[in-house]
Amino acid sequence: MKQGALAWTLCAALIATPVAAQSGDPKADLAKLKPKDFPTQPIEFTVVYPAGGGMDVTARLLAKYVEKWSGDRVIVNNRTGGAGMVGHSYLATQAKPDGYTVGVLANLVWGDAMLRAQGRWSLSDLEPIGYLNSDALTWVGPTEGPYKGMSVKDIVQAAKDKPGTIRIATVPGSMWEYIVEQIEASSGAKFLRVPFQGGGAGITALVGGNVDVAQGFYSEFRGHLEAGKVAPLAVAAATRMDFLKDMPTFNETFGASEYLWQVIRFAIVPKGTPADRKAYLAAAIHAAMKDAELIAEYRKAGVYFDPKLTDSTRLADDLGAYAEAERQFYVKTGRLK
Amino acid sequence: MDALSGLLTGFAVILTVQNLYLCFLGSLIGTLVGVLPGVGPLAALALLLPVTFTMSPVGGMVMLASIFYGAMYGGSTTSVLLNIPGEAASVVTCIDGHQMARQGRAGAALGIAAIGSFIAGTLGVVVMTFFAPAIAAAAIRFGPPENFGLMVLGLVCTLFMISGSAVKGVLMVALGFLTAAVGIDVVNGRERFTFGSVDLSGGVELLAVVIGLFGVAEVLVNVETLTPSTLLAERITGLWPTLADWRASWRAMLRGSGLGFILGLVPGGGPVTASFMSYALEKRVSPHPERFGKGAIEGVAGPESANNAAVAGSLIPVLSLGIPSNPVTALLLGALIIHGIQPGPLFMTQRPDLFWGIVASMYVGNVFLLVLNLPLVGLWAQLLRIPYRVLFPIVLLLSVVGTYSANKNVFDLWVMLGFGVAGYGLRKLEYDLAPFVIAFVLAPLLEQSLRQSLVMSPDGAMILLQRPVTAFLLAASAVLVVLMFRKSKPGGGSK
Repeated sequence: MKQGALAWTLCAALIATPVAAQSGDPKADLAKLKPKDFPTQPIEFTVVYPAGGGMDVTARLLAKYVEKWSGDRVIVNNRTGGAGMVGHSYLATQAKPDGYTVGVLANLVWGDAMLRAQGRWSLSDLEPIGYLNSDALTWVGPTEGPYKGMSVKDIVQAAKDKPGTIRIATVPGSMWEYIVEQIEASSGAKFLRVPFQGGGAGITALVGGNVDVAQGFYSEFRGHLEAGKVAPLAVAAATRMDFLKDMPTFNETFGASEYLWQVIRFAIVPKGTPADRKAYLAAAIHAAMKDAELIAEYRKAGVYFDPKLTDSTRLADDLGAYAEAERQFYVKTGRLK
Repeated sequence: MDALSGLLTGFAVILTVQNLYLCFLGSLIGTLVGVLPGVGPLAALALLLPVTFTMSPVGGMVMLASIFYGAMYGGSTTSVLLNIPGEAASVVTCIDGHQMARQGRAGAALGIAAIGSFIAGTLGVVVMTFFAPAIAAAAIRFGPPENFGLMVLGLVCTLFMISGSAVKGVLMVALGFLTAAVGIDVVNGRERFTFGSVDLSGGVELLAVVIGLFGVAEVLVNVETLTPSTLLAERITGLWPTLADWRASWRAMLRGSGLGFILGLVPGGGPVTASFMSYALEKRVSPHPERFGKGAIEGVAGPESANNAAVAGSLIPVLSLGIPSNPVTALLLGALIIHGIQPGPLFMTQRPDLFWGIVASMYVGNVFLLVLNLPLVGLWAQLLRIPYRVLFPIVLLLSVVGTYSANKNVFDLWVMLGFGVAGYGLRKLEYDLAPFVIAFVLAPLLEQSLRQSLVMSPDGAMILLQRPVTAFLLAASAVLVVLMFRKSKPGGGSK
């Protein structure tokens, strides 16, 4: 993983140049950076999850605004399979590094690289060029039944008093499971983990009374929250969410700092993409992300912007820090040697 | 807002030149997507999603939805004519539809499929108009135990589908289960039968399996007997369903509509499951089950109605709760979000224009599709006159394009080819392929719901009897099994 960290740093250095040269008008800046022979065909945004999901929505909205600012054609392509693994491997090992392939990814790629790639590829094969948005894992509880009105502390206490009775929806082999593991390890509580294939399915099960606690993202449960069908418990982010100011973070509730589980979405290019093209693509994404309309559309979709990642000059370092924290969790729990 | 005034609002929204045009366009694209073997609604919707960004939310959603149900209309065309399903949801239509075509009754089969689709689609949207909120409220209570009960019932139903040797049929069901086990285990997240392959970690793609087993294998079988002729040398008689066809079909259409609608509501269910179960049901209730597989028109009418009703059913949870039950409705949900609209339980009250607009458009769209598809029957029937050597390369090309377009993964093409060769061999050995596919579709749902039920239960398997709905479904399955054995023993004619 040392190699990976080094690559992140190198990327930071590369991105730093164009962004520092920024003046006021993004279109003029982009024109200055535009390589002579690029692009001559549409740029492909590769999404490794199916059309319609949070990742896909992020990529398609981004594509719209990159087109607006750069004037280049952008196509979103969903290369799906293996819970993202097929697309991640494609980007890391097969995609041509010619600037026409941009991966719009989430940090879930870290788990794939560390635990599942088995040395066939590593994070250093993917070079980040822009931060997009984040979703923080949130616990939601019921608005009826015995656990109604409980705080997250009450629920964890209940899971300690009567181990194995509180049903929580999880997604095996992912942060949905890791956070439950962390909480069980530090509190001595024991939940009954009911596996689902995604956060949305778990929230449906909560509303239907088939589990007692569900985990998911704001965009997934907002509709049910507004309809009074679920109650927010706590969020696994560093700070409280703007759109749910009353909901505490796990860290403030339990006086800890380890509960940070979020989906971080960013764009990458395959390693070896020519520096001028990479700089141009980074600047195009940067211009789109400066557009208040795109930010408003992202907020409407229910995502938030992690203040730790918005400084694009330090993006690779900051992402690297998150990746390192995740790696340490894997080492600590014996998943990684 | 009550249903009638809501519906009027919807028609006020939809009856503009622009929206009617988009509804028509979607119906037309949907029909084409259905007709082309391999190219499915999911790929078409993903491809056209960016086009809807420039439209109004109503216009965009109307077009996307009409592509989805339009594909169900077109799907039967190649099933009947070429024995190659246009859509995974039309696999089962091949069995009797193609036999009808071989008897010169392709027109009747296509006609009854279009009319059945229309009736089911319209019934579905009528139920949706008046009962969507109530149905949604009931559907969300369906947890893993209830899903398990439903899947067991489905599995038992599929046993009725087995024709010919029972041993071979059961073997195909088992193979279907085994193939479905490949990939990441839903309960503990570990890989099974992937042999370290990244491509296998996501499991075997249904579309590739179906196109291989039915499309590629059919081409291989026909190449072998390559006579200079076309598929059908003799003239096509009976372009329209006769009165006798009607009499045989209308009950099947109604049963298919009801069954399809319910299965559309269930997570993981949808048009594919619905069409198979409807076929099994028709064979079960028919006084002459031996006619199935030899051109029974109920075997076309039922499944083709069921897959359309399933589309209407699957739109209810997504529009009234924001819960997608299959990949296509997940994509529709994403389309709403991209338009800045929050789907969820309040969608109906917050955006009545949109909800009722989509509902109203489905009445209109189904009429468009009927008007579009009935005259096409004559035209499609002419396809049979195209010589093999022209037709089959086109079919193979479309199969490759369609399979690749689903995931953009070259590995799926190998899967398609592999299953094509396997399908060829199995057909030579007289194995039935339909039980394999239905087992493959049901297995993940069955396994997941059972394991979830057992995990969430404090008293082990008792949860399956404690839940009234589950207990009822399991009891119904048991009764069916008993009936099947009693029927087969005295007469010895279970075949």
